[in-house]
Amino acid sequence: MSQRRLNVRSILLPVAVFAAALALWDGVSRAGFFDKSALPAPAAVILAFGQEIRSGRMFNDLVTSLFRVTVGFLIAVLLGIPLGLWMGQKLAARTAFLPLLNFLRNLSPLAWMPFAILWFGVGDASAIFLICLSAFFPVVLATMAAVANIPAVYFRVAETYGLRGFEKLVQVTIPAIMPQLITMLRVSAGLCWLVVVAAEMIAGRDGLGFAVMDSRNGLRMDLLVAEMVVIGVIGVVLDRVLERLSRIPSVRWGYER
Amino acid sequence: MSGRAFRLERVSRRFGEVEVLRELSLDIACGEFVAVVGPSGCGKTTLLNLLSGHDRSSSGSIAREGRERMVYQQDGLFPWQTVRENIALGLRDLKDPAERARQLSDLIELIRLEGFENHYPHQLSGGMRQRVELARALAGNSETLLMDEPFSALDYLARIRMRHELARILHHRPRTVVLVTHDIEEAAQLADRVVVLTERPAQIRCELAIHQPRPRGLTDPEVVRATDRLLVELGIDGDASRQTSTNYKE
Amino acid sequence: MFRSSATRWILGTAIFVTGITLLRYRPWHPPTREAVATEGVVRDSLTVGFLPVTCHLTCPVTDFATRHSANTRFDSQRFTDFPTIVESMKGGRLEASFMIAPLAMKLREQGMPVKILYLGHRDGSTVMVRKDLPARDLRDLRGKTLAVPSKYSNQYLVIHKLMDDQGVKPDEIRFVELPPPDMPGALAAKAIDAYFVGEPFAAKAELDGSGRVLYYAKDIWPHFISCVLVAHEKLIRERPSVVRDLVRGIAESGEWAETHRLGAAKVAAPYFRQDEALVRFVLTQPPDRVSYRMLTPTDEDLGQIRDMGIKAGILERRIDIRDLVDRSFIPTDIKAANIDAQ
Repeated sequence: MSQRRLNVRSILLPVAVFAAALALWDGVSRAGFFDKSALPAPAAVILAFGQEIRSGRMFNDLVTSLFRVTVGFLIAVLLGIPLGLWMGQKLAARTAFLPLLNFLRNLSPLAWMPFAILWFGVGDASAIFLICLSAFFPVVLATMAAVANIPAVYFRVAETYGLRGFEKLVQVTIPAIMPQLITMLRVSAGLCWLVVVAAEMIAGRDGLGFAVMDSRNGLRMDLLVAEMVVIGVIGVVLDRVLERLSRIPSVRWGYER
Repeated sequence: MSGRAFRLERVSRRFGEVEVLRELSLDIACGEFVAVVGPSGCGKTTLLNLLSGHDRSSSGSIAREGRERMVYQQDGLFPWQTVRENIALGLRDLKDPAERARQLSDLIELIRLEGFENHYPHQLSGGMRQRVELARALAGNSETLLMDEPFSALDYLARIRMRHELARILHHRPRTVVLVTHDIEEAAQLADRVVVLTERPAQIRCELAIHQPRPRGLTDPEVVRATDRLLVELGIDGDASRQTSTNYKE
Repeated sequence: MFRSSATRWILGTAIFVTGITLLRYRPWHPPTREAVATEGVVRDSLTVGFLPVTCHLTCPVTDFATRHSANTRFDSQRFTDFPTIVESMKGGRLEASFMIAPLAMKLREQGMPVKILYLGHRDGSTVMVRKDLPARDLRDLRGKTLAVPSKYSNQYLVIHKLMDDQGVKPDEIRFVELPPPDMPGALAAKAIDAYFVGEPFAAKAELDGSGRVLYYAKDIWPHFISCVLVAHEKLIRERPSVVRDLVRGIAESGEWAETHRLGAAKVAAPYFRQDEALVRFVLTQPPDRVSYRMLTPTDEDLGQIRDMGIKAGILERRIDIRDLVDRSFIPTDIKAANIDAQ
């Protein structure tokens, strides 16, 4: 009973806050503190949103951005996790590569933008490259740190019970870092989503980031806000989806202790 | 079960400048329950690591027989595996799935965790986790249990209950046990023989045999006597009246 | 448990990736851009870069005009800034584009083999001031803040020429660089006092009522050149007929836009993704705010821009204008393109 009340609350409260924010926005735009072109009214944004939906551009931009993020993120993960696993297990590899990785990690992926365009042109490849770059180093470093911090007792137990090689990797090393891995995936997916929007602002002809930049150039603040709303919502959805990873029973231990 | 599980001859272990064990000689018979007590930091765990083979001695020789299994203080279970999966780890050598399933349910019954097979360690109490650890170590054909302060993370009552559990389980599945503990009551209640170590570098200060069969009550005269004796050996006050009559240096 | 969850997630990810990839590339749609002419003859096609400014209006118009043409198909690719255009050209993925004249010179100076083929337009830039400032010329802007798109822009060069003419010293006006879309807002918020930019970003402030025109470009420098059509020498060498079609297309689109201003606004607004009313305003209020005639670059015009660029320190050496310009593709008779804007 109280559980249910809690659930109703956990839906009602955020909805109320959103509604209040919307009302505030509407009130401010009606009161005329700002010029119409400086703060578009919610109604205008909804109108622009409908226009974009009907023209199919919103859907196309959304698909484009999601495609780039998905591919770039997956490449980063598929390359980064094995590298992180290897570095986490080998002290020598860690000593050798860590300074370089730390150096590269600190470069904003957006600084690579000119090179992305020079090497990959304008379009999917350069955006994917930038996204991949933004997720790759955090993924490697987080995986590496997680592996290096696995309590030695687990490896002792593995040895006692004869888990070696691939079996040890799959049954001990990877499950032991899963909770951190999932947190890291959530963080870096969010990072990718931030970067795709920024990357598309310059390198692209479609995608949500491009649409934002384009609306700005076209002096269409109503469109701009509609796109901002979509970007925000997708970001939340993305995180919610990845959050479900942490509900896998065999990783719950990482969140409940 | 006869013969010798371990024979240590003049075993020393140094870490750089620090000498932890000095010329330690010890025989442990098969089926014997030996408790090792001593001041904290004296090298009890080092001794256990030497016995398990996780560590090498600097000098001297160690002979061991049979398969050893370690029971850890806490968190030796894989938290990402269920009770069943954790125990099954100890049965990996069994090829026949039916036989494995049978042994698995036997072990779960033995530790009285029926209904918890699919729980994860973090969903269990400390005592239950220790029982699972025990079951995992007992599974298969292990012959020796090496226990490193297995109950020290439990609260006092749970600890006393676990002593009874251990005694009961060992009654069903006899094993050679080397128990390292700082809990002298535990040693007195469980062990056939208690080995008292000195300060670092550790040597054997004295050995104490306790002949009363298990299970023993906490207040059984022999247990109380042994506890008293151990307190004195460790330099902690026993009963003042007995203090004078006890030979300090044996 | 872990294994079955893992399978579910891997499967889910695979399905999502496949789905999104299919949606992205729509293999069931034949690519419409690689246009196939009515008779099934594969036409030549060329991508031309442009920015959504009225200076580049002829680019989308040419795109529109050649959608169904039997000759070369020109695909106008919109960019949002000049650096990206330059990087795309350097990377070899863009062979022709509109760009500001000093930038083309800078590229040539850096050894990139580009040629100026044609102009994009004449005039089309405007100096806007805040409505509440009584300024009547640049002397009244002493101590004020004036925004320009970039130090490499013609506007920056031209305003210096005018300051020179009016005896205003370079440090008497405070210059800031702002992205053109932000200029009308900055003026309305009184963060800046004036700005000089290509249309439609000047007209926007006029329409909003926050600014008024101080100078049209034609008042400062008649037939002001801002943007030029640039092509890579490789393109000129390998596909001269395409280049010829392109220059002719731009010329005829320009002639059409000059005479069909409402139609041009209608055609270009979707390409620019801008409000049609704004584009219409730029093209008609007054009509000579921007011109798409007389697009043949003269050595004298370009030489003057180069010299100003050197003086302002954005160019380093006197490149030979004859190396930079190739007028051989410009048609002699220019008829308005046959465009149906309905």
